[in-house]
Amino acid sequence: MTSVEQASPDTAARKPRFTFRLRVEHVLTAATVVSLFALWTLLSRYKLVNPLFLPAPEVVWRSFVEVLTVGYQGKLLHEHMAASLGRIFAGYLSACVIGIPLGLLMGLSTRVKAVFDPIVEFYRPLPPLALYTLLVMWLGIGDASKIALLFLAALPPLSISAMQAARSIDVGHIRAAQMLGATPAQLFRHVFLPSCLPGICTGMRISLGFTYTVLVASEIVAATAGVGWMIWDASKFLLSDVVIMGLFVLGLTGLALDWLIRQLERFITPWRFI
Amino acid sequence: MAWTRTALTLAASVAFAASASAQQKPEKIVIGYLNLVNAQLVAKGLGLHEKEMGVPIEWVKFGSGGDVNRAVAAGQLAFGGVGNPPATIGAGRGLPYKGIFVLNMLGPVESLAVRTAKSIEKPQDLVGKTMAAPFGSTTHYLTIAYLRENGVDPTSVKLLDMSPSDAAAAWIRGDIDAAYIWEPSLNKLVQNGGKILMDSGTMASRGYPTWDIAVVMDDFAAKYPDFVTKFVKSECAAVDYWLKNPKETAAIIAKELSLSVEDAERMMQGTGMVPCSKQITEAYLGSSKAKGKFVDTLVSTATFLTDQKRLPKVEARSTYEDFIVPKYIEAATASN
Repeated sequence: MTSVEQASPDTAARKPRFTFRLRVEHVLTAATVVSLFALWTLLSRYKLVNPLFLPAPEVVWRSFVEVLTVGYQGKLLHEHMAASLGRIFAGYLSACVIGIPLGLLMGLSTRVKAVFDPIVEFYRPLPPLALYTLLVMWLGIGDASKIALLFLAALPPLSISAMQAARSIDVGHIRAAQMLGATPAQLFRHVFLPSCLPGICTGMRISLGFTYTVLVASEIVAATAGVGWMIWDASKFLLSDVVIMGLFVLGLTGLALDWLIRQLERFITPWRFI
Repeated sequence: MAWTRTALTLAASVAFAASASAQQKPEKIVIGYLNLVNAQLVAKGLGLHEKEMGVPIEWVKFGSGGDVNRAVAAGQLAFGGVGNPPATIGAGRGLPYKGIFVLNMLGPVESLAVRTAKSIEKPQDLVGKTMAAPFGSTTHYLTIAYLRENGVDPTSVKLLDMSPSDAAAAWIRGDIDAAYIWEPSLNKLVQNGGKILMDSGTMASRGYPTWDIAVVMDDFAAKYPDFVTKFVKSECAAVDYWLKNPKETAAIIAKELSLSVEDAERMMQGTGMVPCSKQITEAYLGSSKAKGKFVDTLVSTATFLTDQKRLPKVEARSTYEDFIVPKYIEAATASN
């Protein structure tokens, strides 16, 4: 214990810790990405696959530039992204607001869990498209049904991880704080929240991934903008360059959002990153 | 080049036909069919393909030709059906399939239905209204053609992409006021406060013919040319059955689509069936030597879709000529 405390300021002064390990991993990551791109380039250069199904990287890049500057079906790329991100945030944030407290309550009270568990557990494995058909009939073809689908996809990972977090609080910590005379508010702020936050953060990351996976499904019916819709529409016209470009856009924005959540995690649970 | 290839495959198919028993059989044949009213339902209902080919048939239903195009890449279909816009897209973009048989000529079976209560009497009344059509399909093409013909800017109508069944659900909920779709979903609109503003038969007479064509995948045709002829043969038999026995046909269609017999009869009226002897005439596919009017439709559809920025460019006429392959009907009708 003491040796770590002594060692850490001094290694921190000499700049990054784990320098060597990180470098190897960076190289491996870069190698994967580069070799995949090389494979893609070779496959298309030597016409080993039908370019209709796998267009060359430069063709995909050109369609990116075109959608960025000229647009796809009357809307520029950032407008499609704004439409999609707007739906994702609306669905995801409302799921956070409802799912996290619900999960915490389910973790604290077996009765609350008994009420909500069957609902969440029942719809969780249902395929999003099957759910969506029903949502369109109930909520119509506007944004409400799309956001509802994203909300339903985002909810279970949030509530389940919050529930697990609340259930795994060390009773010893609570007893100790109570013995020291902590008020319920202090107990919540200083014991309950810090021990649940890591679990909640993990749930938030997983949930964002789930929300992303149903984006295309949510934009299939009657959308006129959105990256998911663009992919779906382009596939009808066999514009596979637009399809692949759209997938890249989704993938990269997904990575960026995940990175944002990890930064948020560092900010609200700093003690885990010392 | 194309000619020699055709000649070679023709020669090969003759050689295969001579040694039919030696030719290997596919384990099963997957036929993608469109959810609409034509004689393919007769072939399905009566099991004509099973009888003709002697192999199990798996029928896969598709909502629209765009979905069929998407499924081609997966390589699991042997046969499919597409309307002229998806066929134009597929042929122009080099999808590995060929058009071999006219499934139907589209008439009032595809119609533009509008909500009676909204008093939409003329194309101009559609401005600002919410309207549905399956994008990339025959009716999407005709919707834009209809609006442009009448001097209405297509972007002034809120046009949404929906499959016919989704459009019917949205109509009943009151989300849309117009939809250009096909039977059997079209009927749900008419029954729920809708009336017909325009139909594909009228559009055909104004110079916008639309049709559905059966396609065979190139891989399958190269491997089992005999079975392609057999497929066409039983499709031809289904068309003949449709034309000769309307009562029985209506009963089959009613059963296949869970409709009343009266509805089935009415929907049949809206679909044009072409006997195989006529399919290889100039008005339709034409002959292997001189391709028919269908090529013109493909070219004009391509021009149209390119105008709409839905296709990068109109390909050479030969691309569309190569897509139309009447030789299987020629073989099927010759052997009768």
